[in-house]
Amino acid sequence: MQKINKNVVLALLSLTSLVFLLFQLYYYKFYLSQKNGAVFSKVKGSQSGPDSTRWHVVRKFLGLISSHNIPVYLIDPLILGLVDKDIEQIRSSSDGPSPECKYFCAPRDFTTFALLDKTWKHEVGLFRTAEKMGFQWLKIINKDPRLDGMDDLSGIEIPLHYIFKLASHAIHLVVFYERSGNYLWHGPLRLKQHMDRKFVPFRKLHFGRYPGAYEKPELLLVSIDDLKVQIPKNPSSFLEEMSHSRFLECRYREARAFFQLYPDDASLDAVEFRKKAKSLLHVAALTLNNLGVKFWLSSGTCLGWYRQCNIIPHSKDVDLGVFIRDYKADIIPAFQKAGLPLKHKFGKVEDSLELSFQGGNDVKLDIFFFYEEDDHIWNGGTQAKSGKKFKYLFPKFTLCWTEFVELKVHVPCETLQYVEANYGPDWKVPVKMWDWKSSPSNVQYNGVWPVDEWDDVIQIY
Amino acid sequence: MDEWKSNPAVKPHKKRSCYLAWKYKLMNQRALRKLCQTGAVLFLLVTVIVNIKLILDTRRAAYEEEEESAQDYDDEMLNVEVPRHPVSNKKVLDVEVYSSRSKVYVAVDGTTVLEDEAREQGRGIHVIVLNQATGHVMAKRVFDTYSPHEDEAMVLFLNMIARGRILIFTIKDEGSFHLKDTAKNVLKSLGSQVAPFLSWRDMWTFVGKKGGEVYGEKHAKSPALSTWGDPVLLKTEVHLTSVEGGKCWELTRRRKRFCSKVEGYGSVCSCKDPTPIEFNPDPLKDNKVFDVPVAVIAGNRPNYLYRMLRSLLSAQGVSPQMITVFIDGYYEEPMDVVELFGLSGIQHTPISIKNARVSQHYKASLTATFNLFPDAKFAVVLEEDLDISVDFFSFLSQSIHLLEEDESLYCISAWNDQGYEHTAEDPSLLYRVETMPGLGWVLRKSLYKDELEPKWPTPEKLWDWDMWMRMPEQRKGRECIIPDISRSYHFGIVGLNMNGYFHEAYFKKHKFNTVPNVQLKNVESLRKDAYETEIHRLLGEAEVLDHSKNPCEDSFVPDTEGRVYVMFIRMEQEADFTTWTQLAKCLHIWDLDVRGNHKGLWRLFRKKNHFLVVGVPASPYSSKKPSSVTPIYMEPPAKEEGAVA
Repeated sequence: MQKINKNVVLALLSLTSLVFLLFQLYYYKFYLSQKNGAVFSKVKGSQSGPDSTRWHVVRKFLGLISSHNIPVYLIDPLILGLVDKDIEQIRSSSDGPSPECKYFCAPRDFTTFALLDKTWKHEVGLFRTAEKMGFQWLKIINKDPRLDGMDDLSGIEIPLHYIFKLASHAIHLVVFYERSGNYLWHGPLRLKQHMDRKFVPFRKLHFGRYPGAYEKPELLLVSIDDLKVQIPKNPSSFLEEMSHSRFLECRYREARAFFQLYPDDASLDAVEFRKKAKSLLHVAALTLNNLGVKFWLSSGTCLGWYRQCNIIPHSKDVDLGVFIRDYKADIIPAFQKAGLPLKHKFGKVEDSLELSFQGGNDVKLDIFFFYEEDDHIWNGGTQAKSGKKFKYLFPKFTLCWTEFVELKVHVPCETLQYVEANYGPDWKVPVKMWDWKSSPSNVQYNGVWPVDEWDDVIQIY
Repeated sequence: MDEWKSNPAVKPHKKRSCYLAWKYKLMNQRALRKLCQTGAVLFLLVTVIVNIKLILDTRRAAYEEEEESAQDYDDEMLNVEVPRHPVSNKKVLDVEVYSSRSKVYVAVDGTTVLEDEAREQGRGIHVIVLNQATGHVMAKRVFDTYSPHEDEAMVLFLNMIARGRILIFTIKDEGSFHLKDTAKNVLKSLGSQVAPFLSWRDMWTFVGKKGGEVYGEKHAKSPALSTWGDPVLLKTEVHLTSVEGGKCWELTRRRKRFCSKVEGYGSVCSCKDPTPIEFNPDPLKDNKVFDVPVAVIAGNRPNYLYRMLRSLLSAQGVSPQMITVFIDGYYEEPMDVVELFGLSGIQHTPISIKNARVSQHYKASLTATFNLFPDAKFAVVLEEDLDISVDFFSFLSQSIHLLEEDESLYCISAWNDQGYEHTAEDPSLLYRVETMPGLGWVLRKSLYKDELEPKWPTPEKLWDWDMWMRMPEQRKGRECIIPDISRSYHFGIVGLNMNGYFHEAYFKKHKFNTVPNVQLKNVESLRKDAYETEIHRLLGEAEVLDHSKNPCEDSFVPDTEGRVYVMFIRMEQEADFTTWTQLAKCLHIWDLDVRGNHKGLWRLFRKKNHFLVVGVPASPYSSKKPSSVTPIYMEPPAKEEGAVA
């Protein structure tokens, strides 16, 4: 009895463990294929070589989109990178079938498309069709930043990202919004608490870590891998733009708190000054952008943006920063042409360069040139009557886009450090008396210009 | 495991007697057993290893993923959504209803859904409609049945309520004086025993289901004419139905949502042929205002908003995606109306009070509009108490280029202040006027951004935004273009600056264009200089009326049609409107301030003739006056007479 029992038990045990093992193997395999190397890439290695699943998913998605008349365009950096290499050929090629699946089959987890918000109505029908076609989808919404700056509007939440998933591939659809300043904006991708964190490996998305700002792209309808799709006309410049697209929203809430403490100056003078400064900034931005000179808001103008999302009415000028490597001799004639004559020029390209232009109506435009060192960045100042030199030190920073007085402009991404370096820890308190030689907390005395150079380094018009 | 291993040593003892027979078997068995044992152990081991590996792998993956998504993609704010009304599965609602001279309140399950103890307000019958399945308030109305005609409105309202809804009635102060038999019968049909005998200053509360049971009724009779009935408090229980009845329609999602939330919108929620909520009016050919944003400024008058949006969405050439409704306050019902029509709505936290509140709401709405549509050069501004003409967008499409090109223009408005039934005639005719009529108008973005927004009146200034915009500091001599026959109709009779009498006197008889596709004539002549030429031409052909007659009399203008007449009134300087105001008064047009003038000239119609009024000598057109004519002077009446007029 015991023996039989044992044998039976043994056999049963073996059987169950076999079944279990098989199940486990099956599950393991299933898990692997589902994740498609996303998670187990270390184990299995990224799939290489063409895979038609991706192509099929993209084709299905494009079919879905076109059946609802929604104009999307391709912004996937991987594919655009491949496309860019063959751009001439793609532009000129006719609709003939392509020999191999070269672009849409390339290994990747996502294919990213862009959608201009104003070109479609938010129809539920799209999602119903998507579901029928087998897509799972996720919508990420958040507050409308275009209403963020406004005192007490409870804005509607707007869709920022959509993700459509089918089989092992996902489509990331980024929604772009037009904003004041004639540019396009996309929002950050933030998951709310109840959302499925494992829907896709979010970290691998190319868009959504930060909000971004872009120029409106010119589009081109091309046929790649037998799929008709719109792409930016110039993929390489789009990719370049993408690498510096990070956008910072103005700190509207803090600005409101600031105005609670220090009510805004609503006098006619203040209104007038803001109007003049705004139009000067618009002219300056247009001129520098045309020359391709990258600039950012500096000093008081930057403080105004950071602290109160507006021009400080008691500042007397508009301040911009430019890296000295971006300096162009054309700057002065270009401004002259735009109606802003040179007021003074201090320093030289090699050292402490600073240009001031006279705006049309008593507002001065200062352009400070910044010199990069290993561990800091600085710009120079010169006192005209004594020839004394000053140096203003800043920690290293990178540039981000923001919106200011209906303009898309750069500011240092690390704005707080920049403002604190310049204005000290009490930058939140408005100061009306400001001496550029002594007030800044980052000023250093930097010697005197040699007298024989004065004619060159101190030019006043 | 240990047990298994010790066994083989024990077993052979029992098999000795039949050794041979068993030997092979035993050997076999032993080998088999050993094999099985080893196999099982191996299997088990492998399983365990694979298991552990799998667990480790998945956990690591899950952990990494969690970390991944958590790192950058978490919403910083904890958006834990708290339901506004905690949903209980309770099937019975406790309802308390109070009626008295100076105060009424209704509480449902301890939550006050109505409380009115304001003085001199809220007189009459208060009605509350509850959803019979959820107990949510779907409508709240008060009908001042002390005053005439309010009972008719109440009957209309009660008839629109779907069967099965729970109705709560309570009287504040007085509700019977003009409560006619029709209304009493309707109340009786709802199950009220008392309603037919309601009389002067009685207090009354009633809770019942439409077309169903009565949950309670209380009544206190007024003992004498000069006193009120004692306050009554009705406490009762209402049984909720598990599912909402009337699943009769094939409703769109939007309609279903709306109909389960609010009541009192008539056939929108009726079972048979509900009123459409999609309109699909004809598109306009060459529509120049297709991409101009439309801002609808709204408060808490959802029925008005409903009527307004219906007319707006029916206008030819409308682009619904360009419409944004701005609601001044966190009111739910207006938002429900906006969503019913599939439009986008934005709520605004009220700032300041009265006129300043309206003014701040306007500013926020305009700023938001230009933020949301950064490409727009213009915005159409509408209010919730306007009907929009079917050719509103066609009218704008034909004239908007003037606003773009002519710097001397301030706005285009759909409203002619002087365009009454008896003074407006020609739908294709436009004027230039020095006043800003509002009531459906187009604002240029540059005007708003560069001039108005930076110096918009701050919240502490209790100014009307439109009065402020009319001030010379803002208007700077610029003019607005208006049609002869208005493209909007002001139907609101409740409002901040509005009441029934005022509406009847100044707005009710306003002419409103109902003809589609009107081709405007001679639009180019509205440009600054061309308009002067046009006026001179008009004055040149105009016949001078007989100035000896009384201009208020009908006989002042001959019984002709289609002629142009001119009269001259006295106007000593630019701001002397003494005679004009008297003339306006007797012509029954807008006389509360001066509207519709252009350099001392007013244009209107009388008896289907174009009728020009020139102020002499202030107007530059005075030169057209024949020397024989003496300008008419009309004296303002003495003070007490003025009040009567």
